[in-house]
Amino acid sequence: MTYQSELAPTLLEVRGLRTEFDTRAGTVTAVDGVSFTIDKGERVAIVGESGSGKSAMAMSLLRLLAHPGRVAGGQVLLDGRDLARLSERALNAIRGREVGTVFQDPMSSLDPVMKISRQMVEPIMRNLGLPREAARAEAIRWLDKVGIPDPAGRIDAYPFEMSGGMRQRVMIAMALSCRPRLIIADEPTTALDVTIQAQIVAMLKDLTAEAGAAMMFITHDLGLVARFAHKVAVMYAGRIVEFGPVDAIFAAPQHPYTQSLLRTIPSVGATKDTRLPQIPGIPPDMRHKPEGCAFRARCAVAVSRCAVDVPDLTARTGDLVAACWVEGGLRAAPKALEPRRRVAAPLDDTRVTVEINNLVKHFEGRAFLPRNRRAVRAVNGVSLRVRKGDTLGIVGESGCGKSTVARLLLGLEQPTSGEIFIEGLAQMVFQDPFSSFNPKMTIARIIDEPLAVQNWGDRPARAERVEQLITQVGLEPAHLARYPSQLSGGQRQRVAIARALALNPSVVVADEPTSALDVSVRAQIINLLADLKAELGISFVFISHDLLTVRYISDRIAVMYLGEVVEYGPAEDVFDRPMHPYTRALIDAVPIPDPRLEAARSNAPLRGDLPSPLDLPVGCVFASRCPMATELCRTDKPVLKKYRHSQEAACHYAK
Amino acid sequence: MANESVDTAAAARPRLPVLALPTEGLLANRKVQVAAMILVPILALTAFAPLLPLQAPLETNLRAIMQAPSIEHPFGTDRMGRDVLARTLAGVKVSLLVGFSVASIALVAGMVLGTLAGFFGGVIDRVVMTVVDIFLAFPSLLLAIGLVAIVGTGLIPVITAIAMADVPRFIRLQRSQVLSLRSRPFIDAARTVRASKGWMMTRHIIPNTVAPMLVAGSIASANAILVEASLSFLGLGIMPPAPSLGNIIRDGQTYLQEAWWISTLPGIVILLIAFALHFLSDGAREELDPRARK
Amino acid sequence: MIDYALKKSAQLFITVFGVVTLVFFTLRLIPGDAASAMAGDTISGEALQLMREQMGLNEPLMSQYFGYLRDLVVLDLGQTITTRLPVAEMIGNALPVTMSIALLTILLTVIISIPLGTVAAFMAHKGRTRLDNLLTGFAMLVDLMPSFWTALVFLLLFSLTLGWFPASGAVTLDDPMAFLSRIALPVLVLSVTQIATMARITRTSVLEILSEDYVRTARAMGWSEFRVLFRHALKNAALPIATVIGLSFGNLLNGTVIVEFIFTIPGIGNLLINGINSRDYQLVQTLIVFYALLFVSINFITDLVYRALDPRVSF
Repeated sequence: MTYQSELAPTLLEVRGLRTEFDTRAGTVTAVDGVSFTIDKGERVAIVGESGSGKSAMAMSLLRLLAHPGRVAGGQVLLDGRDLARLSERALNAIRGREVGTVFQDPMSSLDPVMKISRQMVEPIMRNLGLPREAARAEAIRWLDKVGIPDPAGRIDAYPFEMSGGMRQRVMIAMALSCRPRLIIADEPTTALDVTIQAQIVAMLKDLTAEAGAAMMFITHDLGLVARFAHKVAVMYAGRIVEFGPVDAIFAAPQHPYTQSLLRTIPSVGATKDTRLPQIPGIPPDMRHKPEGCAFRARCAVAVSRCAVDVPDLTARTGDLVAACWVEGGLRAAPKALEPRRRVAAPLDDTRVTVEINNLVKHFEGRAFLPRNRRAVRAVNGVSLRVRKGDTLGIVGESGCGKSTVARLLLGLEQPTSGEIFIEGLAQMVFQDPFSSFNPKMTIARIIDEPLAVQNWGDRPARAERVEQLITQVGLEPAHLARYPSQLSGGQRQRVAIARALALNPSVVVADEPTSALDVSVRAQIINLLADLKAELGISFVFISHDLLTVRYISDRIAVMYLGEVVEYGPAEDVFDRPMHPYTRALIDAVPIPDPRLEAARSNAPLRGDLPSPLDLPVGCVFASRCPMATELCRTDKPVLKKYRHSQEAACHYAK
Repeated sequence: MANESVDTAAAARPRLPVLALPTEGLLANRKVQVAAMILVPILALTAFAPLLPLQAPLETNLRAIMQAPSIEHPFGTDRMGRDVLARTLAGVKVSLLVGFSVASIALVAGMVLGTLAGFFGGVIDRVVMTVVDIFLAFPSLLLAIGLVAIVGTGLIPVITAIAMADVPRFIRLQRSQVLSLRSRPFIDAARTVRASKGWMMTRHIIPNTVAPMLVAGSIASANAILVEASLSFLGLGIMPPAPSLGNIIRDGQTYLQEAWWISTLPGIVILLIAFALHFLSDGAREELDPRARK
Repeated sequence: MIDYALKKSAQLFITVFGVVTLVFFTLRLIPGDAASAMAGDTISGEALQLMREQMGLNEPLMSQYFGYLRDLVVLDLGQTITTRLPVAEMIGNALPVTMSIALLTILLTVIISIPLGTVAAFMAHKGRTRLDNLLTGFAMLVDLMPSFWTALVFLLLFSLTLGWFPASGAVTLDDPMAFLSRIALPVLVLSVTQIATMARITRTSVLEILSEDYVRTARAMGWSEFRVLFRHALKNAALPIATVIGLSFGNLLNGTVIVEFIFTIPGIGNLLINGINSRDYQLVQTLIVFYALLFVSINFITDLVYRALDPRVSF
């Protein structure tokens, strides 16, 4: 390993780690010779897409891989002791005690039939040798530290009695409570909402620093890393392709993959006529790994040597190491600018395609006794307009009612009250393209279905239309004979878009269209949607929790919280000069892929959890989490009012 | 616009999920192969039984009673000198007929009523499910016993009685499948293009329920074979002298010590058939649901 | 909880009512009527008329039906027509025998099948597929053995050949040892099948749980595989397994009919078969309803207990 600091002694050194999975189709090498070091108290981020082997690598360190995965070679030296050679018994003394682990999904990572107290106290008793009472006090202390309200009472709760964010706090408390020297956090925030994510990341950073523990943080979100990591390792196809200090990685990345990944994140100042730089192709299938460099097929600067030899990590400028045969990576080639998008001239047309007035949707609870019936108030009086050719972005956290609005727009749910007017036809692109297709239908039949249902033309005419549609979304007619399971995620989402366009809709509603996709493929879909919008002049409603993407693609943004629109206005205005404290908190929670900007930001994360939509507060819905809430907010409900010339906000203190 | 690589491994997989079953995968499945290795010879022997050098199943030979298994009588003979193998093969024919008929009735009735109940809900659903609950209140063999006590013995009553116990189970299975499919996003996708209920039912829901129902049908046929044998054994099914695996075993019960083969060998045949049918459904499930693969 | 229990009770009531109605009217479907079916060729003319009168068959159908419902509510189960004994007393005598067989079987099943299934699941999880395949294949084979055939094989082996257990003899609860030795074989026969079934179900549930995230969490906290298997996996699997045991009671009732018939044990199963053979429809009708009630009540209780014990089900 090339990187080694002279002063800080090494805590963990991984050398040539290999992890294999024995499958029916043969042996898959998920982790292929990974080497790196973590110093004492250092925070290292491991970044990679799904299938890059990052989680398999992390689980291999403590041999927590389930069958058929196994560590096939290499050394894992913790303070010089090779964990890969230790017996199960000896390793059990390390697990939890020396190395704590936080997993991705807090909903499933705690034992559902055991109280928190049992899950926390017994490891403390065993590892720290404390009597039960002292261990319990210690557990309560940690629950308090991670921000669980009323820890002494909540310690006897079952996991299902807590929200996802709370459970992740418990997981962290559990991992830290035995005073480990290293914390492995495997995508600890992926399953959480942005504002909760911000809280958790900040807490992990502070608490590990306070405890003097080192942290290995695994994530697919490169942007998130800038906020807390000292060093970053980028993984691709089972190997580390680049490793080094966080500043250097973000300022001057050397590997083409890192360089491309950073470019695909929509920047805060991106304008709509520039296409997002995108990485062509999809990550390689690990079952049939290509010869040579795995990134070659998607690399703009690949040379003939890349097809033959696998590059090793070599030292580059700025303390970085990168595995690439081309010095400087993409910088070696002239930057191929994505062609600019021809933005349709702003339509003077003020015709409205979609108009929603005071929309309300309550889901009635079902219970045998009437007194037990309670309504979930998913949407509470939402009014919105989409002008012809415009894109409306709806942002908010899970449970804010944004998806219900989409379903109401499409007629998939009937509103409890309120009106929806749509001029022309609305169509939808669903979040998970795989489950939105009938697995027993070919792609041709999937795209043809809207036409067939509406008796559009005769068979040959429809076949022609289907072919035209599939080329329009950048696929080939050869794909038509396939089944959904035979396409990649990005290809499926293209098919979903083709299908949505089949009937020439006036508005397309896209509900989180990129969140099920690999990071490197997302930009492709965003670009496609933006291109189509410019070409076809149709309106879009783009629903997402990803603020940067919404800002990039939308003309106007509506911010939703607990079934209400709390802020509405032109995308740039809402983003640059938010008026509602919730909008501001959301924007602050968005990680910016630049460590220096991040350091300068005041990211005091929003406190607390979302109130239950079963019993909403009387006053402002946001009052319980708002840093500036007053008595007025708790009693009087603010309404959406126009401020400035076009921006609206529902806050007593908006100016 | 950059195109994604077409030649990914996922795209190159040869398997085609056709309407019902992935035939190629099924034939390659180890469990299905084992099932075939048991079922095919039994089917062949049963079909060509008249061509085998055996006595007719009902032919008695009082000079050769209770003979132990030999080349001439591979399963021995019973107290009337009838050839146990010939009777067993005739019994297998009855078993297979019962298994096949019951599974078919249960499949068809279950799919029709289960789809109606699950898809339309409301009053239809409540009526169908109440009746289903009433039938499921009886342990299955006891329901069949009760029905046979009323309807009488013989092949058709036995098939009817066993099917009556199975149909509610199939209605329930089909209904739960339809309910879970109905909440799948692809049904929403069909609704957004204004597809009619009939369209969704025939093109989206029913095709996706066929394969699991066939898997259940395979188990139901094995179960029906066991129930028929039990009924005949209790003297409530196929009545002697017509052979059935159950009544052959009952015949042998009295001579268990003197002629163990009369009861034991037909029992092994039932076991083999039931085992093969279960293996078949297990293998099919593995191919249909990759998560079941271990 | 109360909400759920009320809803389930309403359902149970409808089901029970449906069962009673169904059995009553189905029996009236018998060609001729119950009296002539019972009488066969032996009785005719006035005697038959008298029998009809006694059985209440001359009254209008609906009044017979309501009379029957009334009798059921006050637990007046009438007399059997062949033996003239009160049906309630006959069931009262036979039930303890059948229940002893059923409960002993459940006990034996739980003791053997759960450790077996857990070990098999552990093997499968560790990828020791050969041993696991062997175990599961064998369990499936045993599971599918028709119980009457198993009974004969056991009878031949343990009773006739080895002479360990008596094949016949009086069955009374007065002499516990004799009673136990008489029901030992029937219990064994039923247990073999039940053990195979439950071991397979235990294996499946435990295996599923072993790949849950919280099992990995426990491993990551440094607990040994053994402790994780029994403290976390089995604990989580216990409730569903217990439920399946409750629900498998129907199978057990099916099985008791057959073993009681073969081993000539005077339980309610034997009562039923004798009733059918002697065409005692009064008895058969009551027994079938009784079986259904027993079965649905146990399912009902199992379901409620499951919900009451699972901390995740909130009410």
